[in-house]
Amino acid sequence: MSPPPATIVATGTFFDGLSARPHPVTLRLGSRLEITGSGIREDWRLYDIRASETEPPTMRLALAGSPTRVEFTDEALSLGIEARCPDLRIDDEGRGGMLRLVLWSIAAGISVLLVAIYGVPAAAAIIAPLVPQEVETRFGAAVDGQVVSLLGDPPLCDGAAGKAVLDRLVTRMTEGAVLPGPLVVSVRRHTMANALTLPGARVIVLSDLIEKANTPDEFAGVLAHEIGHVAHRDPTQSVITAGGVSFLLSLILGDLTGSTVIVGVGQAAIAAGYSRNAERAADAYGVAMMLRAGGDGAALATILERIDKDAEKEGSPTGFLRSHPYTKERAATIRRLAGARRPDTGILSNEDWQALKGICSARTSKPGDAKPETPGK
Amino acid sequence: MSGAPLSRKGVIAFDRQTKGLTGIVVKGFLLSLITFGIYRFWYITNLRRYFWSRTVVAGSPGEYTGRGKELFLGFLVALAILVPVYLVLFAISFAVPSLAALAGPISFIFLFFLGQYAVYRGRRYRASRTLWRGIRLSQDGSAITYVGLALGWWLLTIVTLGIAFPWMRASLERYRINHTLIGESRMASTATGGMIVKPWLLLYVVGLGPLLISVLAFLIANKFSIPSDMMIPDPHKPGQLIFNPVYAGTPLARYGTVVGIVSAIFIPLAVLLFPYYRARETRAFMNAAALGASRLHSSLRARQFYWPYIIYFLTLIGFFVVFAIVVGIAMVIVASGGGDGGTFSGMHWLILLLIVPLYLAMLLAFAVLAVRIITVRLWRAVTDSTTFENVEALDAVLASSRRTASGLNEGLADALDVGGAIEIGF
Repeated sequence: MSPPPATIVATGTFFDGLSARPHPVTLRLGSRLEITGSGIREDWRLYDIRASETEPPTMRLALAGSPTRVEFTDEALSLGIEARCPDLRIDDEGRGGMLRLVLWSIAAGISVLLVAIYGVPAAAAIIAPLVPQEVETRFGAAVDGQVVSLLGDPPLCDGAAGKAVLDRLVTRMTEGAVLPGPLVVSVRRHTMANALTLPGARVIVLSDLIEKANTPDEFAGVLAHEIGHVAHRDPTQSVITAGGVSFLLSLILGDLTGSTVIVGVGQAAIAAGYSRNAERAADAYGVAMMLRAGGDGAALATILERIDKDAEKEGSPTGFLRSHPYTKERAATIRRLAGARRPDTGILSNEDWQALKGICSARTSKPGDAKPETPGK
Repeated sequence: MSGAPLSRKGVIAFDRQTKGLTGIVVKGFLLSLITFGIYRFWYITNLRRYFWSRTVVAGSPGEYTGRGKELFLGFLVALAILVPVYLVLFAISFAVPSLAALAGPISFIFLFFLGQYAVYRGRRYRASRTLWRGIRLSQDGSAITYVGLALGWWLLTIVTLGIAFPWMRASLERYRINHTLIGESRMASTATGGMIVKPWLLLYVVGLGPLLISVLAFLIANKFSIPSDMMIPDPHKPGQLIFNPVYAGTPLARYGTVVGIVSAIFIPLAVLLFPYYRARETRAFMNAAALGASRLHSSLRARQFYWPYIIYFLTLIGFFVVFAIVVGIAMVIVASGGGDGGTFSGMHWLILLLIVPLYLAMLLAFAVLAVRIITVRLWRAVTDSTTFENVEALDAVLASSRRTASGLNEGLADALDVGGAIEIGF
């Protein structure tokens, strides 16, 4: 380093790090920084000088590793200091530290995401069969309450004749099936054609599904598919996955910025439904169950296609998320598994089917007498 | 004497122009976004360094020496403690069904007091990273004692239906200030509940009082028993609750309506009065604080706490209007161009690609505005209205050889999301 061209002189205030008393001083910047005042004689090496953040034109210097400070407002001196002190500003973000931090954070974030997308479901698949039955049953009751209130507390349909038919049908279908706990099937009045499987061998059928079913076999086919989910413990697995993912993501990510949006989207995307493999397995299970119970195995394919087409026609928001080729592929597989239709099949007599269809209309709920029922205690 | 001109002595002032602050916020926001939020520790550190260094106390700016790395490590340690705690709470609610109903309240109470603990420890970290004229601040006292104090006072506040609130605030303030040191010199607070009881009573009588009275009247009129079927599902609109017509004309309906109307009027009023209370409290507590022979004096006006919020909300409304117009135009284009059977055309993608950056830009703008309008103005309102009486006594402050607190102190606060980057007041 060539010797600095000129000495810059300015006045400032010195703090000795021992007391808060200000000491007026003269600063002399040459090849070193000399600070002199009454009783003060400091001589700082330029390499050891550090600046801390201040509002220009004020500048505050410190000797590295010491609490002494000198403050001044002279611009020529601050320019000279900036030019001659090589280690003036050292912090975490300097010297490529920032880039390293960003890259490592991204790598860590991607690793957490991969764990959330692949690791958590895999772990859930291992954990789900280990959950004791009574825990799952208790949990199912809790989830039932939540799901029902999310759906807007739809009233329970319990027309006596319809309920008897449904119970007989369920008994017949599940004969010999290995299920985690006794199956609880409930019907609720709702304008969505759907059936939901919950942990603890619970199935909630929404009444529009019964409306949309043209034959009892179509309805029974959907029910058998849901029982497939029950047998494979898909809901338990899905709840463990959703819980694990949200726990993981919300702990790691802060809520300082829009990152929370990513959490929300992630949770929704990951926990939206069962995997395609799980759906295929439930389809196969359902078809086998229908054939065993003496029903039409292919009816599931028919109602799937109809509901899919209706959703598309109505332009429902879920419409475009549903993938048509996927439904087509599922329907084809179901038909292949079901084989040729036997002419004498039909899982319910016409009379029973009419009774089942009336399960919701048997008793119209009047305000005041239809308290929201607490789900199956 | 340069560096500390006589005219600025005894005055606390904050930078007028806040140059460079927007850059810190923009960088902090964008990097936090792409680093999955991990950059926030460095962002918080940058913000604090900026605010501390722009606050000039008796001629000398403050200095923040904390590091993002310290906060990050503290956060990791806090996670290691909290994750098992969360898991145990979760497991208990499953394994012991009789406790399942209690798990919510238990974890709320547990986290509340852990939060108080974290607030105190976080303050300790910040104090130990704050220097003024080369003298380090510190905080002693015990976080456990602080939590016990908070527990006792909160119970008393609940039992007295909120009347004890000012005394709780004053007691906790005294504990915090009396355990704050600048070098060797201990600060002292003479804050009492009586100082802030008037603004609190105003908030209480105008805001909370009618609400409490109406709820009490409702309960008394119904002999403290509310039928479980007071609200029933609407038979026409699924998912909506309506008042059970069976009870029409009974005291239940009459007093229920009163509670509804009272809360519709007085809850917003209480929210509107809150900045007034906060301003009065800040002023009273500032005036009660002293360092040796030197006292703080605050002339903070309540309106200085209102303007930042008013300006911020007006700006937000402007932004929302612009955003709604843009989205509306996009929707019109989608509706007119997407009539061909719902196929997802290139136009849809283009609009989606435009809306996402627009949304992010809006969030970024909000972040900048929140810091520039609310944080800066509230901070400035407090600093610029505060002066030192008997400022010469400050010169006698001596440095201390106390050990500095580690970044682990603040990690818990971040993991629990209590205690912001910048807190207004002392």
